[in-house]
Amino acid sequence: MKVNHTLPLEYRTEENSNKILGFWIFLGAEIALFATLFAVYLTLWQRAGNGPTAAEIFEMKPVLAETFLLLTSSFTIGLAVHSMRLGLKKPTLVFYLITLLLGAGFLGIEIFEFYTYVHEGATLQTSAFLSSLFILLGTHGAHVTLGLLWGIAIMIQIKREGFNEYTANKSFIFSLYWHFLDVVWIFIFSFVYLKGLM
Amino acid sequence: MMKQLFPIKHVMGYLLSLVLSAVALVVLIPDLSYNVKLTILLVSAAIQASIQLFLFMHIQEEKGTKSTLYINIIYALFVGLVTIFGTLLTMIWGYM
Amino acid sequence: MKWDEFFVTGEPMIYGAMASIVLVSVAIVVGLTYFKKWGYLWREWLTTVDHKRIGIMYIIAALLMLFRGGMDGLLMRGQLARPENGLLDAQHYNEIFTTHGVIMILFMAMPFIIGLMNVVVPLQIGARDVAFPRLNAVSFWLFFFGAMLFNISFVIGGSPDAGWTAYFPLASNEFSPTVGINYYAIALQIAGIGTLMTGINFIVTIIKMRAPGMSLMKMPMFTWSVLITCVIITFAFPVLTIALALMTVDRLFGGQFFTMANGGMDMLWANLFWVWGHPEVYIVILPAFGIYSEIISTFSKKNLYGYTSMVVSMVAISALSFLVWAHHFYTMGHGAMVNGIFSITTMAIAVPTGVKIFNWLFTLRKGKIQFTTPMMYSLAFIPIFTVGGVTGVMLAMASADYQYHNTMFLVAHFHYVLIPGTVFAVIAGMYYWFPKLFGFRLNERQGKLTFWVIAISFNVTFLPLFFLGLKGMTRRMYTYSAETGFGPLNLIASIGAVGLAIGFGLLVYNIYWSFRYAPRDTTGDPWDARTLEWATHSPIPDYNFAITPKVQSLDCFWNMKKGKEKLFEDELEEIHMPSNSGQPFILGVIFFFLGFALVFSWWVPAIIGGLGVLVMLGIRTFERDHGYHIPVSEIKKTEQRLRGETV
Repeated sequence: MKVNHTLPLEYRTEENSNKILGFWIFLGAEIALFATLFAVYLTLWQRAGNGPTAAEIFEMKPVLAETFLLLTSSFTIGLAVHSMRLGLKKPTLVFYLITLLLGAGFLGIEIFEFYTYVHEGATLQTSAFLSSLFILLGTHGAHVTLGLLWGIAIMIQIKREGFNEYTANKSFIFSLYWHFLDVVWIFIFSFVYLKGLM
Repeated sequence: MMKQLFPIKHVMGYLLSLVLSAVALVVLIPDLSYNVKLTILLVSAAIQASIQLFLFMHIQEEKGTKSTLYINIIYALFVGLVTIFGTLLTMIWGYM
Repeated sequence: MKWDEFFVTGEPMIYGAMASIVLVSVAIVVGLTYFKKWGYLWREWLTTVDHKRIGIMYIIAALLMLFRGGMDGLLMRGQLARPENGLLDAQHYNEIFTTHGVIMILFMAMPFIIGLMNVVVPLQIGARDVAFPRLNAVSFWLFFFGAMLFNISFVIGGSPDAGWTAYFPLASNEFSPTVGINYYAIALQIAGIGTLMTGINFIVTIIKMRAPGMSLMKMPMFTWSVLITCVIITFAFPVLTIALALMTVDRLFGGQFFTMANGGMDMLWANLFWVWGHPEVYIVILPAFGIYSEIISTFSKKNLYGYTSMVVSMVAISALSFLVWAHHFYTMGHGAMVNGIFSITTMAIAVPTGVKIFNWLFTLRKGKIQFTTPMMYSLAFIPIFTVGGVTGVMLAMASADYQYHNTMFLVAHFHYVLIPGTVFAVIAGMYYWFPKLFGFRLNERQGKLTFWVIAISFNVTFLPLFFLGLKGMTRRMYTYSAETGFGPLNLIASIGAVGLAIGFGLLVYNIYWSFRYAPRDTTGDPWDARTLEWATHSPIPDYNFAITPKVQSLDCFWNMKKGKEKLFEDELEEIHMPSNSGQPFILGVIFFFLGFALVFSWWVPAIIGGLGVLVMLGIRTFERDHGYHIPVSEIKKTEQRLRGETV
C-alpha cells in the first residue's frame, strides 16, 4: 500500500485520501439535497392555508440560541481536528465531547420548538407551509442526530486506539460533516427564520 | 510553537461568523427596503458559508484534489441554484 | 388487514404469477440444496466485493427485469391490438403501463449500464477495483432489494397505477387509496440510495485510480462518459430522494405538499420529478454514447474522430441536462416566458448531441469497417436515434407541443430515443465485452440474426405510434372504439411487439448456446481492440492486472500491439485485495424488511428495521478490515495458468 508521510495522518494512505474525496462529493450531493428542500420551502412558505403563517409562529430567542450552539460546535470540532493534527489525544476527545454536547443542546431546543408548534396547532398536517418547514428542519435535525451517534462511535474508537490511519481519517471526515451541517443551518437561519420575520 | 498551537484561523472564523449572524439580524428592523434586506441575508450567508469552507474545512488543503473539490462545490451550487430558482420560476414567478 | 386485501386476488393472470413465483422459488431452493451450491452462492456471489462479479449480477438482474418489463409491454400491446379489446381491464392496464415504465428505466436500463460500468471502467483505467469495493456491494444490494420490493407489489398489495411519473393529485391517498404508490415511493427510494452511492464511488475511482500516465484526456471515451454520467447521478438523485420522501410524507403521515387543499401544490411534484427525471434521461444515454464510441472506433480500426469535442459536448450536455426539465409539462399552465426559456434550452441540447453523431460518422469514414454484431447495433443506432432526436426537437417547441403532448407521438419519440440509445447500446456492449468476462464470444451468426429481428421489429412496433399520435390517439388509454380508425396501425405495432419478444428470446438462446458450444478465446483480445481492458486475460483474474500498466497514450493497448509503447514493465509485486463481506447483503435484506413494513404502515416492524440499519452502520464503523495480500508466487501461478501454460 502506498503511504505518503508528508501528508497529515488522515490523508496518508491512498484509501484514506479516496475516502476524503468521496465524502466531499457526498457533501456536494447533500448540497443538491438541501437545495431541493429549500426550493420546496420557498415555493410553499406563503401558502399557509387555514393554518398559522411564518410570522405568527417563529420566535427569535430559541433560534438565536440554536444558532449560537451550532456555530460554537462547528468551532470546537475544528479545534478537535487541530489538536488531532498536533497529536494531542486528550484535547481532541475533550473538544469532541464539547461538540457533541453542543449538538445535543441544539437538538434539545429544536425538539422543544417543534413541541411548541404542535401545541399551538401548527402540525405537519396543517398546511403546505408547515409540512415544508417541518421537513426542512427535520431533515437537518435528523442529520444532527445521526452525527451525534457517529461522533460517539468515533470518540470510542479514538479512546481505544489513539490516532491511527483509521481513527484520524474518520474523525477528519466527521468534522467535514459537522461543518457542513453548520453551513446548512446558516441558510435555514437566514432564509427561513429571518426572511420569515422580516 | 505557540503560533502553531494557537488555531488563529479557527478563532478568527468563529468570531467572524458570530459577527455576521448578528449583522443578519439587521433585517428585523422594519424600515429597510425588501431588496436591501435580502441582499444583507445573501451576502452574510455566503460569507459565512465560505468561512466554513476555507477556514474550517480546509478545502484548499490537499494539492492533488483541490481543483476537483472546487469543481464539485461549484457544480453542486449550480445544480442547487438552478433547482431553487428554476422551481420558483416555473411554480410562482412564471405561472399564469 | 384481511388476507384477501393483502394479496391481490380475482385475476387468473395474477394467480398464475403467484403460482409461478412460488414454483420458481421452490425450484431455486431445491436446486441449490441438491447441487450443494449454497456455500458457493454465498462465498462467491452474495458476499463478493469484486467489481466484475457485481457487474455480472447487475446485468443478470437487469436482464430479468427486461423480461418482466417486456412482459408488461407485450400485455399492453396485446390489449391495444384490437378496438374494444378485453384482455386487460382499465385498472390492470394502468398498473401494467406504470410498472413497465418504472422497471424499464430504473430497474433495467440503469442497472444494465451500471453493470457494464462495473465490469469495464476499472479495467479501462488499469485499476484493481473501484475506490470503495464494499460500498459497491452495498449499492448493488440496495438496487436489488429495491427492485424486488417493487416487483412483489404485483401479487401483494397491488401495483402502483398512476404512471411511472406518479403525478399528483392522482397519486395522493384520495385517488390512489391502495398501497401501490407506497411501493413506488419506497422501492425507488431504496434503489435510488444505491445508485447515488454508485455515482460517488465511480467519480472517485475515475479521478483517483487511473493507471500512471493516463491523464484525463487519455482516458477511453466510455470511461469519460461514465465520469460525466456519475456527476449527473450524484447531483440529480438527491432531488429524487427528496421528491420521494415528500411523497412518502404526504401518503403515510398526512403531509400537505402536493394536496389540493391547505396550500399544497400538486404540480410541484411534477416539477421535482422532472428536475431529476430529465437528467435521468442523460444518465441512461451518455454511457450508451460511450459504448458506441468504443465499438465504432474498434471496428472501424481507427481512433475516435474528434475526441476533445466528444468530451466537451458531454460536459455541455451534463450542464444543459439540468436546465430543460419544464419541457415535460409545457401544458401545465405556466406562461409564455417560462415555456420560451425551456424551449430554447431544450433545442440547445440538440447541438452537442449532433456534434457526437457527426464524430461517429467521421470515425467511420475511410475506416476498415467490420460488421460484427456490436458494430451492427451501433450502425443501426445512428439513423434510428436521429429520428428520435429530431422528433424530440419537434416536441421541444412549446407551441407545437400543445398538439403532441401526451399523445402516442410522444410515446414513439421516447422509445425511438431510449431503445436505439440505451437498449441497443447495452446489448452491443454485452456482445462486445462478453468475451472479456467469460472467455468466449457469443455466436456471431445468431447474434446478427437477432439483430435484424430486433431492429426491424422495433421499427414495426414504434413507427406506427408516431402516426397514431398525430391522428390524436392519447397515451395511457386502455381501449378505443373502432370508429376512431386507430385499429390497423395498432395491430401493426402489436405484431412488431411480438417480433421484439422473439428477438429477445433469440438473444437468451444465444447466451445459452454459446455457453455450451462457443469456441474458447485464448488471446484475451478477440476483437483486436484498442483500450486497456483487452490487455489482461479473459476471463479476468481477481486482481485484474498482474502488473500495473504504465500508459503513454490514448488507445495505449493498440499502440502496444503496434510496438510503439510498453505497458507492463515493472516487476511483479504482491497485490492488496479487499476481503469479501456479508454485510452489504444483510443490509439489503434489512432495507427490504424496512421498506415492506413502511409500505403497509406497520410501525413497529418499521422501527425495528430502522434500528437494524443503524446497527449495521455501527458494526461497519467499528470493523477493522485490512483486506488480504496475494503473494507473488500465487500471481505467477495464476498468470501461467491463464496463459495456458502447465504449472
